[in-house]
This record gives sequence, structure tokens and C-alpha cells, in this order.
Amino acid sequence: MKFRTLLAALVTLALVAPAAASAAEFDPSDEFKLKDWVPIHLGGLNLSINRAVVYLLLGAALTCLLGVLLMRWRLGVKPGRRQTVGELIYDIAQTQVAETGLPSKAIHLWFPYCATIMLFIFVVNLLGFLPLPFTGETWHHIPVFGIYAATSQISVTLALAAMTFIFTHVEGIRFNGPIRYFRSWIPDVPKAILPLIVPIEVLSQFMRLISLSVRLYANMLAGHILILTMIGLMFIIHSWPWRAFGLPAAFIFYIFEVLIVVTIQAFIFAALSAIYIGSAIEPEH
Amino acid sequence: MHTLALIAASVKDAPVVHAGKAIALALGIGAGAAGAGAGIGNIFGSMIQSVARQPELRGELQGLMWLGFALTEAVVFYGFLGGLLGYVLV
Repeated sequence: MKFRTLLAALVTLALVAPAAASAAEFDPSDEFKLKDWVPIHLGGLNLSINRAVVYLLLGAALTCLLGVLLMRWRLGVKPGRRQTVGELIYDIAQTQVAETGLPSKAIHLWFPYCATIMLFIFVVNLLGFLPLPFTGETWHHIPVFGIYAATSQISVTLALAAMTFIFTHVEGIRFNGPIRYFRSWIPDVPKAILPLIVPIEVLSQFMRLISLSVRLYANMLAGHILILTMIGLMFIIHSWPWRAFGLPAAFIFYIFEVLIVVTIQAFIFAALSAIYIGSAIEPEH
Repeated sequence: MHTLALIAASVKDAPVVHAGKAIALALGIGAGAAGAGAGIGNIFGSMIQSVARQPELRGELQGLMWLGFALTEAVVFYGFLGGLLGYVLV
């Protein structure tokens, strides 16, 4: 019953919305353009504070708060609801992420990194689906609310993936020594096809960097563009039966993104980081 | 020959180029989604089968299933990114 009321409300809202904009004016990719709010330029580096940086700072603060609140503060032998959630997150980070990817001798070293990156990406992804007043636009002096995820910016996810990439090779060299580590990249094959295999294996190490970053970035970007386009349709389409579809579709995509994509992407990033680092520390042969 | 010359001349029109780009982007995503759809269906189908055979393995299999799901789903987004790059750069 509640769902039906919500659906009716969405359809009515889509029908009464003013059909003001034309298709040429509406471009959902405008939402992802970054403007420098506090310009900081160091030499050739642009370290300005923009929308993504604000979201990242907010995400970092919230991650710390969440970690302290759920897993550090007032813990008891008989867990309450707050502590149960904390234990659930910790349990997923330990059993599903760390213990499947990392060898047992490296868990105490790299569990904190994997758990942190999981919680951080989860919080930043989830922040992307809350309407927050950081669009940088005002409407009659009231800040305009909008949805935006810092992880839908490839520079953010590439930095996270580069961290995993560097840690992988540093740990591989530290645990195995450079010669044994780089030799472990090359599989046991007949000598004749080595010139074919070696470039592919070296390339595949760098493809991890791309696949890790693009997976998260494109997921969040596509999700946001879909939702924004579906919402934008109600301002563009003028004929009535089609106007009613945009907002319910946006709602369905929103629920899908929040319930599934946000969690899965955070989990996958952490799990793959653990697997990559683990496989560098203990190569198969 | 006459038709080809006509097409070549009309491609300089902005709306035609826009339409072509839109079709290319949509085809790229659509074709990518078809493959990934088959893959994701395969993953969940296998998961249902294996849980039906050995329900006690559910917990262990679930992590693997989500890993496979995300890896397969990402393929669509590589296609999407390629389409987007084509859309923006050309």
C-alpha cells in the first residue's frame, strides 16, 4: 500500500512538473564538471578545493566517525544494535575480504588497509546518493541540493587504485626479493612462446590499475547519469503518457544503486586489493 | 556514387553527427550489456544450483558470487566508457 502511494506521488509530480527546458539545454554531464572553489596552485600542480575534494573530506571525516562510533566506543560483552552493525562490518572485512585474499602471515599487516578502504569507499559512495547542498549554485540565496559522488571522478578512483598498485609491488619485493618476485610474474611455459607471454603478463599487471579504477568510476558515473537523465526527462518530454515514466524509473534506479551497487563496489575494491597484495606476497611458484 | 557524395556532404551537418554519435553510444552500451547479461545470469543460475545441491556452502559461495557479479558487471561499464570517450572525443 505504501509503495503504491509513493508511486502515485512520483507520477503526479512528474505530470505537474513544468516542461520548461528543451532537450538542447539539458545535459546531465554538466553535473560532473569541477570548478575550483578555493584555488591552490603549487607550481604546475592544481590542488584547488572543488566539489570532489569537499565530498572526499566529508567522506573521510564520516568514515573516522563511523569507525569510532561503531567499533571503538562503549563496547560491551552483550552487543546492542550499534555494536552489532559494527561487528557485522568487521566480520565481512575479516572473513570475506582479508582472509580470502591475504596469506595468513600478512593479515595483521594488511587487514587495516583493506578494511579502511572498504569502509571509506562505502561511505563516499553512499554520500553520493544523499542530496547535499554542495552544488555550488544558489537559488534565491538558498544553496541548491544535488547528488554527486567523489568516486564518479576518475582522478579519485585512480589515486585509490594507484595506492593498491604501489603497495602490491612494494610488498612483493619486500617479501620475496626483486628477482624472485619479478620471476613469479612469468608462468611456466615452453621457452618458444616466452616472447609472447612476457609482454602480456607485464601488461596485465598494469591493466589491473585500469580495471580497478574504471570499474568503480564508471559504475558510479553511469548510476548518477542514469538517475539524473531519468529525472531530467520530466522537464523535456511534453506528451503525457511518457512524462509519467521518468520519475518512477529514476526512483527504481536509485534504490538499486543504493542497495546493491554502493555496497558491492566497496566490497569488490577491497577484496581485489587484498587478492592483489596477497598474490604478490605469496606467489604461486 | 551520387548517394555516397550526398551522405558525405550531409555528415558535415551537426544534427546528423549528433545522431550518429548517439546511435554509436547506445549500440556500444547495448551490445556490451547483452554479453554481461548472459554472464550475470549464468553466475546467479550457478549459485542457485549449487546452493540447492549443498545448502551448507551458502556463506562461502556468496562472497564468490558477488565477486563474479561485480567483475562481470564492470564489462558493461568498460563499453560505456568507450562509448563515452567516442562521444566526447570525436
